[in-house]
Amino acid sequence: MEQARNTETDPAKETPVDENILGFGPGLKHAAGILFSSKTAVAGLFLVLFWVLTALLAPYITQYTPTEQDWKSPNQGPSMEHPLGTDELGRDLWSRLAYGARIVLVVLPVTENFWIPGGTALWGVFASLLIGAGLGLFSGYYGGWIDEIIMRLLDAMMSIPVILLYLIIVAAIGASAVNVVFAIAIVGTPGVARLVRSLTLDIRTRDYVRAAETRGESPIYIMFVEILPNAKGPIIIDAMLRVGYAIFAMGTLGFLGLGLPPPSPDWGSMVAKGREFIMSGSPWAALWPSLAIASLVVGLNLLADGLREELTRYQ
Amino acid sequence: MKKDDFKVHPAVLDLKSDMEKGKVTRREFIRYSSLLGLSAAAAASMAGFPWSGAAWSASVKRGGKLKIAAPVHKVTHPAQFSWIAPSNQLRQIAEYLTYTDGDNVTHPYLLENWTASDDLKTWTLNLRKGVKFNNGDSFTADDVVFTMNQWLDESVGSSMLGMIGDYIDQTGIEKVSDHQVKLHLKRAEIGIPEHLFHYPALVLNHRTFEGDFIKAPHGTGPYLLESYREGEQCVIKRRKDYWKTGADGKNLPYLDETVFIDMGTEMAPMIAAIQSGDIDIIDFSDISATEAYQALKDDKNVNVSPSTTNQTRVLRMRVDLKPWTDNRVRTALKLCQHREKILALAYFGQGVQGQDVHVSPKHPEYCPIDTPKYNPEKAKQLLKEAGYPNGVNVDLAVGSGWKEIVRYAEILKEDAAPAGFKINIKTMPNSQYWEKWTEVALGITTWAHRPIGTMVLNLGYTADEDGKPAAWNETRWVDKEFSELLSRANGTLDIDKRRKIFCKLEKIQQDRGSIGNAFWINVWTITRKRVQGVKAHPSLYLKLDDAWVNA
Amino acid sequence: MAKFILRRFLLMLLTMFLVSIAVFLIVESSPGNVAKNILGAFITPEQEASFLAQSGLDKPILVRYAYWLVGSDWHAAQKINLPLKRLVTEKGFVEWWAVDEEKRLVRWELDGDDLIVNIRRDDGEVVKKKDNDRWRFADDGSARFWGVDRHNHAVLWEKGLDQEVWTFVAGTGWMVASGGPIEYIPLKKGFLRGDPGVSLRTGRPVAKSLMIRLRNSLVLAGIAFVIVMPLALFLGVIAGLKEGSFKDRFLSVTGMTFSVIPEFATGIFLILVMSHWLDLVPGATVFGEQAPWERPDMLILPVLTLTLVELGYVLRITRASMVEVMRSPYIRTAMLKGLPYHKVIFKHALRNALIAPITVIMLHVNWLLGGIVIVEVVFGYPGLGQYLLDSALYKDINALEAGAMIMVLLAVGTQLVADIIYTFLNPRIRYS
Repeated sequence: MEQARNTETDPAKETPVDENILGFGPGLKHAAGILFSSKTAVAGLFLVLFWVLTALLAPYITQYTPTEQDWKSPNQGPSMEHPLGTDELGRDLWSRLAYGARIVLVVLPVTENFWIPGGTALWGVFASLLIGAGLGLFSGYYGGWIDEIIMRLLDAMMSIPVILLYLIIVAAIGASAVNVVFAIAIVGTPGVARLVRSLTLDIRTRDYVRAAETRGESPIYIMFVEILPNAKGPIIIDAMLRVGYAIFAMGTLGFLGLGLPPPSPDWGSMVAKGREFIMSGSPWAALWPSLAIASLVVGLNLLADGLREELTRYQ
Repeated sequence: MKKDDFKVHPAVLDLKSDMEKGKVTRREFIRYSSLLGLSAAAAASMAGFPWSGAAWSASVKRGGKLKIAAPVHKVTHPAQFSWIAPSNQLRQIAEYLTYTDGDNVTHPYLLENWTASDDLKTWTLNLRKGVKFNNGDSFTADDVVFTMNQWLDESVGSSMLGMIGDYIDQTGIEKVSDHQVKLHLKRAEIGIPEHLFHYPALVLNHRTFEGDFIKAPHGTGPYLLESYREGEQCVIKRRKDYWKTGADGKNLPYLDETVFIDMGTEMAPMIAAIQSGDIDIIDFSDISATEAYQALKDDKNVNVSPSTTNQTRVLRMRVDLKPWTDNRVRTALKLCQHREKILALAYFGQGVQGQDVHVSPKHPEYCPIDTPKYNPEKAKQLLKEAGYPNGVNVDLAVGSGWKEIVRYAEILKEDAAPAGFKINIKTMPNSQYWEKWTEVALGITTWAHRPIGTMVLNLGYTADEDGKPAAWNETRWVDKEFSELLSRANGTLDIDKRRKIFCKLEKIQQDRGSIGNAFWINVWTITRKRVQGVKAHPSLYLKLDDAWVNA
Repeated sequence: MAKFILRRFLLMLLTMFLVSIAVFLIVESSPGNVAKNILGAFITPEQEASFLAQSGLDKPILVRYAYWLVGSDWHAAQKINLPLKRLVTEKGFVEWWAVDEEKRLVRWELDGDDLIVNIRRDDGEVVKKKDNDRWRFADDGSARFWGVDRHNHAVLWEKGLDQEVWTFVAGTGWMVASGGPIEYIPLKKGFLRGDPGVSLRTGRPVAKSLMIRLRNSLVLAGIAFVIVMPLALFLGVIAGLKEGSFKDRFLSVTGMTFSVIPEFATGIFLILVMSHWLDLVPGATVFGEQAPWERPDMLILPVLTLTLVELGYVLRITRASMVEVMRSPYIRTAMLKGLPYHKVIFKHALRNALIAPITVIMLHVNWLLGGIVIVEVVFGYPGLGQYLLDSALYKDINALEAGAMIMVLLAVGTQLVADIIYTFLNPRIRYS
């Protein structure tokens, strides 16, 4: 799904490349200025920050652990003890939501006992950026038959319906956080590669790239030191949107029974499990994580939109 | 029972005296004596019960159409069934020799009656006369012999072979006359009539059956196969010359037509469809029904009738793999089951608690035994003694399609943590779980309903002659004393003596066995209120010959 | 132009080829046991081996791919040394027969040691005869024969002196035979020749099941498309006219919100509210013999779900395009020239603003299909999506390949159409 939705906001189409946008160091203040001049971006930032903070502070703002079972009160609506209610095993939904944000945004549970920083969705997007950017750079910089082969393969990948790709990938390699990352990465790669390729095609005609070439720099150096840093603005905006769709994808995978193993409180699995109880009149367990996914993805979209709008205006 | 050659089996008389002494309940008496060939009515009168057969009032209505949500699987050879759902479609077209009802009492069906020799090694099956297949062929002993040979043919690969193969082979089936077949067994067996109602045991037409029932759908049943589209639907239509007569004196069935519609595996659409009346029945024989039970139990348009069953979810530990080689570790994990909580949350309290013993309170041999209490401290202590003072990491394999099993696993994970078990739940689609159900070190397996306790224990907790664990012994647990007692129980007919052996068997399994089991489940037959005559059955078999609908 | 279309067409074929290989490889390399998935968990190793052999799954992957692509009948015909013929019986069963030297339709079965030929007469009646002359004897005393059996396989039967197989023969009982089938080739024409084979899971020809389901899915997608498109274009234009206005923000945020709530949650909430609580419309799709359009009430909720999910996306593309157009110098010029507002909008802005969304939407039919898979599962809708989902879970390679090919064809085909439309709308584009 994400590959499609991204075309709409393909930053390469609308935004001329500006080397300072969202740059770090000297550009940081500048970027902040752009950010705060857009109401849309601020609204988006607020939503995103809310979830980032919730994720970071989860242990301090919740009364229960995400797996604590109050077996006398399963499937409850909101109450004083449980502000958002409880799920089918009597677990506090607010705690699960907050810790779920952690899995999406802050930590990746490689195994039950081994966690690495960076959320599942973030790692998924990061991996697709890594592979996609590599392929895009090579393809765009070298052109010719390398370009042709890479792009045709990616075209083929893009024309497999995403849902089918998920199914085949995860049905083949099983359900775990790392495999979810893998699935998100594979599905995201062609989109990133296309974007980076188009940016590369543009940037490689610039003077400073010509200069580096006449200096005799190696192609690797030119690709990763001259071209990539100058393309990072649109890539970062694109990545924000991708994070949103990665979260959405985790939900779909959970629905297909291929998400993170229980009792993981990630939002996708929460919706997928909670939906069993909607028909018996306990919609809460599915409602809250659905809204959480929606608000975070909307936040990321608004942030990206706002930034882009401001950038175009700025030029 | 006016036949001269029919005599009451001597064991029936023993049973009767046991019943009179209070060692056997009336229900058990009826059930056992009916297995021994006494008709249910005669048994009931001996037990002092007024017998009220299935006497429908004359208010039945004819005509109409039933819509059933059920998976429509690929089907070729009925003996090869591995799911119950296809049998629920084809049992309307072909039939069984016997019929075991929802109270576990077995009645003759395509058989007129049967007798067993005193040593239970020779069984005489008398076939019902005047029954015709829907293509006009008469039903005779040739069909029975043919069908039984199909079960025993290894190239057919029927699960019947596993059930009856160890007490009979093809040489033991004798056609005496056109309407009599004798079975010569290798050992005593009382369960024959029940086995003849096992779901792959549909009687086939020996003249036309060539391996694919759909191409030659010739059975003796009340319906004709109109169309069969796998994954889509199966349509059956009323047959005019069916052998059974309805309450109104005319031929059964009452219904004109029944359609089985494959609606996938997602529960929400089926629930919505039965609520709106777009379907009348949901076939839950192969899928978990808790979701539908929750949503429909208070619906005023829907009947939800429960059956208690001997179905359970078994927490099985492979005793040949660490850490489960140590009985202390196994016992520790069993102690971590908070049974009341597990039953309440995983199955909404709809069943009875289990006792880490694969014998259900509903099994006739069941000997009451204490239910272990949740005791994480003792479990921690046991783990320490077993050499795991800092706890132990284990993987628990579950199929994500069985929601109650996933919940069981999640509860166990939480409650076993204080004892030092760190459980990693590994979910997989059900199909993948079945691929490795006997292989995983720790997993939760569903076990189907079996009417007699020895059937399960023989399947799951024994070894073959060479000492190799039997095919379905998923935990590899073989215990010498247990096996000896079990084989003694197999040969013991006297229920009271049998139960005494079971007291010991259960104690052994609870103390040093390889399974935890937290609950025995109920199942539900879910129908629209307008549907009449569909009786609840613990295996969720659907019998539609005398079903009818109130328009 | 013609060159461009030809080029794109060839690319489409290439893509389909690559995808078919990819699907084959992924399914091949994934763990899982097809036999157990299909026959149940309790089969014996012998049954498994026999199932794999009869389904042709014991062959090397290259051979299987070739059979899938171009069929196996030509290969089998070479082995049998007779031409093969595929026919469909009155009851709709597909049957393969060999055409013997006398132009009769024949196939064989083994009865004990005897080879029996079944001869199909023109009226469909089958005559059986012993046919032991066809055995070819080898030096070691064993005999072999390649023929067609009654289950649409080409089979190599072998009998020898040292083999003993128990077989049950109808009417006779148990017999010891000294031979049996040792190799199978399931007969099919291959995907390229319009026969994607038989589904391993359902045993039905894939093409048969797929067509009905494809029709159902297209009905659903079509209705959703017809509703979503005008609505989304209209709302998108309204939002884009005044960028940053309340209307704009409200429409884009609401649209976006609905489009990012997972479809399966939206679907079930809709069932709960519209069907369970309010009892307005049916909450599930049960068609039975009927076609979807005969029960339009049952289509309401699936279509509504799809609409909610898809609306936001199209709306945002339209809006973005409209915003861009409104900012462009020529619209500003037109405004400055003093042309009436509505005239500027209808004569200049709209036409240009709608080019992008219409083509972009065409590019993403496969994404629409993705949403449909989930919606179909949630409503029990008998469409292509559910079929694919089941096929993938059961590793039903023939069904999965055929479904994937259809999806790719739809996705790439509409892209091609989109490109062509775009060329007409926007002649500035140059093709190399």
